[in-house]
Amino acid sequence: MKKLFLIFALLLSFASFAQTEAASSSAATSFWDDPMLMFYTVVGFVFVVVLLVMLVALYMLQVLNFMVKQATRERAERLGIPYVEQPSFWAKIWKESNDFQPLEKEADLMLDHNYDGIRELDNHLPPWWKWLFYATIVFAGVYMVFYHMSDTLPLPLKEYETELAIADEQAKKLKASSPTAAIDETTVQLITDATALADGKTTFLNNCASCHRKDGGGDIGPNLTDEYWKHGGSVQDIFKVVRHGVQGTNMIAWEGFISPEKMQNVANYVLTLQGTNPENGKKPEGDLYKPKESAPADSVKVQASL
Amino acid sequence: MQLEKIHYDNKIVKAFIIATVIFGIVGMTVGLLAAIQLFYPLFNFDLQYTTFGRIRPLHTNAVIFAFVGNAMFAGVYYSMQRLLKARLFSDALSWTHFWGWQLIILAAAITLPLGFTTSKEYAELEWPIDIAIALVWVVFGINMIGTIIKRREQHMYVAVWFYIATFVTVAVLHIVNSFEMPVTFFKSYSWYAGVQDALVQWWYGHNAVAFFLTTPFLGIMYYFLPKAANRPVYSYRLSIIHFWSLIFIYIWAGPHHLLYTALPDWAQSLGVVFSIMLIAPSWGGMLNGLFTLRGAWDRVREDAVLKFMVVAVTAYGMATLEGPLLSLKNVNAIAHYTDWIVAHVHVGGLGWNGFLIFGMLYWVIPRMWNTKLYSTKLANLHFWIGTLGIVFYALPMYVSGVVQSLMWKEFAADGFLRYQNFLETTTQILPMHMLRATGGALYLTGVFIMTYNLIKTAYAGKFVANEEAEVSPLVKVKHTAGGYWHHILEAKPVLFTVLALVAILIGGIIELVPTFLIKSNVPTIITVKPYTPLELHGRDIYIREGCVNCHSQMIRPFRSEVQRYDPKGGEYSKAGEYVYDHPFLWGSKRTGPDLQRLGGKYADSWHFRHMLTPAEVSTGSIMPAYPWLYEQQIDKSLTAGKISALRTIGVPYADGYEAIANDELDSQANRIVDNLKLEGLETTADAEIVALIAYLQRLGTDIKQKDVATSNE
Repeated sequence: MKKLFLIFALLLSFASFAQTEAASSSAATSFWDDPMLMFYTVVGFVFVVVLLVMLVALYMLQVLNFMVKQATRERAERLGIPYVEQPSFWAKIWKESNDFQPLEKEADLMLDHNYDGIRELDNHLPPWWKWLFYATIVFAGVYMVFYHMSDTLPLPLKEYETELAIADEQAKKLKASSPTAAIDETTVQLITDATALADGKTTFLNNCASCHRKDGGGDIGPNLTDEYWKHGGSVQDIFKVVRHGVQGTNMIAWEGFISPEKMQNVANYVLTLQGTNPENGKKPEGDLYKPKESAPADSVKVQASL
Repeated sequence: MQLEKIHYDNKIVKAFIIATVIFGIVGMTVGLLAAIQLFYPLFNFDLQYTTFGRIRPLHTNAVIFAFVGNAMFAGVYYSMQRLLKARLFSDALSWTHFWGWQLIILAAAITLPLGFTTSKEYAELEWPIDIAIALVWVVFGINMIGTIIKRREQHMYVAVWFYIATFVTVAVLHIVNSFEMPVTFFKSYSWYAGVQDALVQWWYGHNAVAFFLTTPFLGIMYYFLPKAANRPVYSYRLSIIHFWSLIFIYIWAGPHHLLYTALPDWAQSLGVVFSIMLIAPSWGGMLNGLFTLRGAWDRVREDAVLKFMVVAVTAYGMATLEGPLLSLKNVNAIAHYTDWIVAHVHVGGLGWNGFLIFGMLYWVIPRMWNTKLYSTKLANLHFWIGTLGIVFYALPMYVSGVVQSLMWKEFAADGFLRYQNFLETTTQILPMHMLRATGGALYLTGVFIMTYNLIKTAYAGKFVANEEAEVSPLVKVKHTAGGYWHHILEAKPVLFTVLALVAILIGGIIELVPTFLIKSNVPTIITVKPYTPLELHGRDIYIREGCVNCHSQMIRPFRSEVQRYDPKGGEYSKAGEYVYDHPFLWGSKRTGPDLQRLGGKYADSWHFRHMLTPAEVSTGSIMPAYPWLYEQQIDKSLTAGKISALRTIGVPYADGYEAIANDELDSQANRIVDNLKLEGLETTADAEIVALIAYLQRLGTDIKQKDVATSNE
């Protein structure tokens, strides 16, 4: 039992280690910043305490049991009557539910079978086992009726439709309440918010880095750090390419895979890479892009501040 | 009554035991290699013969058919002679059986790394080996039935019932599932396509577990456990009920491997309910085993043999409860395609089969060599290290299975998947995979300790090749009224065999026949067309490389899966999409993402680069590299043969298409080569990678053909 405990604790520590690592790398928030950390610690503490209390209680119970038995035995000896140990409550339940016959009466149950010395007893089927079997057969019948005759319960495709309907409902609500759910290439904006850019970076590292390199220097896809763009370098242009992809190239359409807000964040993050000039960057492709004169003033500020 | 002197054949048992131990070590070592490959891709060695896709089937075949198979024959041949009081029917057949089986194993060990595979799980071996298996199995069957016929015991003991059920059912399963159309000596196409192929395969696959890994070992348990414990079997009545209910119900449960797939709903539901009804019959075996130990539990503490058997029977009980629970739709929705299933089968494999075999070996070898076990201490050490190995194997896999599944399904508040990149979920579980390999290594260490112990035992004793026994000749006793009616049946082996056959045929027929004959079960999709010749070659490469071991082609109707694999099209997988898939490639485990809607997602050049250096294109990927696909050429002389073989089994290629097939192949290949050239990638039109790209780009696109046509207008 102790061994099992140790192993389980070890496993848990490994699992939490793995999660910590992933959380810190992808979301850029450390394990210690997790607002739920306090909650988990308290719950964990309470759990351990409850477990310990239960262990102690169980042990006390055993000691008590032993002492009661001891007392009865002594009393029996004192009175000079033979002491017969009473089976425990659980032992009785176990015996009854299995319909166990006493081992001494085994000879009565012995069949005349003898196969290479193997004898067979004629014990009853364990009653709980028999009832379990009946119950599963009833379950089977009810299951078939509910799913295929009365159509009370949903089959896979029905489940799927329900799931989609709920998702649609949620999406509608989201659109109504949050403007970010409806961003497209005409409404996409330049942003300077650090959290949004950090989120953009995470999305970039998870999805874009494999073709554009972690530093944006370009590999399968073009260099994103220079001023040359194949499809325009405004935030609108970049958003459009991210959203719809470029037919016939490796740039897939990310619409549907990631949310419009995340696409806005990642497009803005890509703009922050301008002029970082990483080592061994891919040579420029496309046309030189200069932010338009008419660009909003703050966008120039963003570029300048980077 | 005159006593007769006969001799039991121990030599054949010894041969099977030696094979068991050798292939146990081999199979588990290969398994350990596969486990390491999953977190350290370097161990694929960049060699085509040692990539995970070919190593994994080698592992499963080696442990199931070589390790457990040989142990089964050893146990059956040892116990059957003594239970029936007769030497085996024919020594010649025994040895034909032994060497035939080892030759099949050798053939498997050679052909699987070479990439000759049907891709159907646990039935990967190609058609000539399939025929050899059928023949050797029949030899085994004749030897068994022959021994039963010439028995000196009027009635057959419960172990023998299980052996009979094993023989007839495995024969039926193997033959039906192996129907295939040969193209060359080492290439064939499954006779069945898509949904039908999937149903037949899992009817087979599930019952391979039932009748290769379970029933023969229940028989072995019924002999060795009472012998080792020196106790009478607990309940004869329980034996009867659980035997018949087990073999009748088991055969129906196969479709639980295909829940939420394109398999018709009624078949899925039958799979669910029969799996649930299987709990009690399975537990009947466990209870009869454990209750037999009543009054002997004090000995379990000291006797290593009994310890192994108790854990084996308990693991059997756990696995056969877990299995039905995994068959419930809502549990299956989480567990399918994940490491949970891997944990589940290894509780059965390592716990039930492995430990029962070890218990049997520790018991039987001292007796066959007429000595005592060399070291009970080492046997106990083996027991504890093995148990620890199982725990270390199973627990991390449960954790990783659930963690990964929940990550696949999790939606963020914005209505999009939180872990959109599949790789995030893969890297998350790698520490669990490392722990799993540790568990496997512990278990294997135990086997090495056992091997040493057994060899030492054998050297200390003297082998009894022909064990003498004094038996009385068969005296038929007339059955009097009042006893068990089943007891009469036990004296009629032919009738018994026929009844067992009927019991196992019913479920199969009811599930298979309607799926083949009733058209509504696979609704037609007009835009689904046969593969082009180049795609066909590509698909055969996909099969050869064992891609199906890690990638499914079956998107279940869940919002999270459709969103992940086909966010724009919004199509889950439909039965009609697979009508030309000989064999089906739905897969059963997603170590990598599903590929059913891969076609058109990336450009050709992405695939070209990705197959060459997966870890560079997808940072952190554990997929092996496939450099040989860029050097090897497809064999265009086989195109015609492939087309006509497929036409024979129902794929509607036009008459005479063979003649122009290679021209079409060339022009499609050249288009891909030109595409690649645009990105500065050079290759030849007959390189294998080109065919594979063609196939990958076709995947799951047919269903969208109409949309494209209308949008072009």
